Amino acid sequence: MMPALQRLALPVLGFAVLLIAWEIAGRIAGPALLAPPSSVAVEYVGLLRQGEMLRELGVSLRQMAVGFIAACVIGMPLGAVMGRSAVADAIFRPWVSMFVVTSTAALIPLFILFLGTGLMLRVTIVFLASVWYITLTTYNGARGISPQQIAVARSFSASPLQIFWKVILPALYPYLLTGARIGIVHAIRAMVLAEMFVIIGYGALMHRSGLSLDTGQLLGLLITLMIVSLFFNWVLGAAGRWLAPWYDLQRVTA
Amino acid sequence: MSIARAKSVPAPRQTHGAPKLEARGITKFYTRDGNRLLVLQDFSLSVAELEFLVLLGPSGCGKSTLLRIIDGIEPCDAGQIILDGKDVTGTTGAGRGMVFQGFELFPWRTVMGNVAFGLEVAGVGSKERMDIAREYVNLVGLNGFENSYPHELSGGMQQRVGIARALAINPTILMMDEPYGALDVQTRELLQDELLNIWEKQRKTVVFVTHSIEEALYLADRIVVMSPRPGRIEQVIEVPFARPRSDEIKSTPEFLDLRRDIWQSLKKGARV
Repeated sequence: MMPALQRLALPVLGFAVLLIAWEIAGRIAGPALLAPPSSVAVEYVGLLRQGEMLRELGVSLRQMAVGFIAACVIGMPLGAVMGRSAVADAIFRPWVSMFVVTSTAALIPLFILFLGTGLMLRVTIVFLASVWYITLTTYNGARGISPQQIAVARSFSASPLQIFWKVILPALYPYLLTGARIGIVHAIRAMVLAEMFVIIGYGALMHRSGLSLDTGQLLGLLITLMIVSLFFNWVLGAAGRWLAPWYDLQRVTA
Repeated sequence: MSIARAKSVPAPRQTHGAPKLEARGITKFYTRDGNRLLVLQDFSLSVAELEFLVLLGPSGCGKSTLLRIIDGIEPCDAGQIILDGKDVTGTTGAGRGMVFQGFELFPWRTVMGNVAFGLEVAGVGSKERMDIAREYVNLVGLNGFENSYPHELSGGMQQRVGIARALAINPTILMMDEPYGALDVQTRELLQDELLNIWEKQRKTVVFVTHSIEEALYLADRIVVMSPRPGRIEQVIEVPFARPRSDEIKSTPEFLDLRRDIWQSLKKGARV
């Protein structure tokens, strides 16, 4: 075990080294290529004051939420059924395996043809980018359910329905949360990606600051995105620890 | 010899009339990598009402499989399980309660939730099942831990929960599958004494599986020694020690003699 001081000091030190290197590189390269952290900080305060960043972020996140929730609603039961039924596994796994390795960016042009550039496109892309991770995490959880615990339930003459509600679902619970955590990170990435393709929302802000060579603003927007992703990840993790105190979520976070 | 002497002693609690439980001609195969593995062949056994029967044998002799077949959670390829004169082959319940080797508690349920599980699936109302569960939590000495989760408990305490969970449905026959196999020696001996105490208070028919000769001799009315795969009955021993039993019997010449005899008969079939 590392002493507490070291555990705290080392990440801070690592962060400081990065910031200093960035500052030096930024001053050499100039703001059109890489704004140094000192000017990003100033720019960031401006972005927060101006309000457009947070406003666009709010709109984009609401649309992201629609796709992400749809991914949970479809992916979780699909993964559970695949994990518990050999037939469903045989039918769906080839598809899931194929889609999960497919680049979301590669799908966007196709879906622009199908769906145009409106809300449906963004929701669909977010859905497609996150549903497979949610499905596969749930699937692995469902496959890993201890046959012994199901035997216990059967020993007490539990019906199949009772086994589902009282054993399979609680045993899956940590995997559902982990799937959601992995899924939401992919959903946020896909949200920005889709928006940059069709130049709308938060992605449009990033696109424009890139074009106008305003790297201070671009980096500020990136930082906000990072914070948002980390925040959602943390919220879902904390919700899991609160709702499932028996389970250390880290055990299934691969 | 001691076995002859032991056999001449009438079983202390053997009642006359129909047996409580009978296994008739049980045959069980496992299929592994396309090969059929014979685990039990035409195995028959009868257990008297309120008898404490121990199935003793080396690992892989099919004793746990037999217990699971008796409980109804594992199918058999031939044979019947008769409980109270009724054919219960392949079904669970009907007064059977099982304690599992690896405890197998539900990690998302508290001690109370685990103990109440059997009552809950049987549809017992919430208030009533909590009262019953509390009673059994007390019986196994876990008062104060009602709201703890399994991961907060030691192995010995977890298995106490396992025993309370099986007892809470008030089974007429308690089945225990190497319940103390995963515990250290001290905890194991402590829990053996606790089990005997509970058994004195709540008389039940018990079928107990173990590979420990000492455990078998200390607990059983009758020991069925099984041979390695396919499991057959190697020897049946009526255990002569009076109850209530205490640790001291473990150092009596009679205990040591019996232990040696059983060891000899286990060694005969042993393949290392």
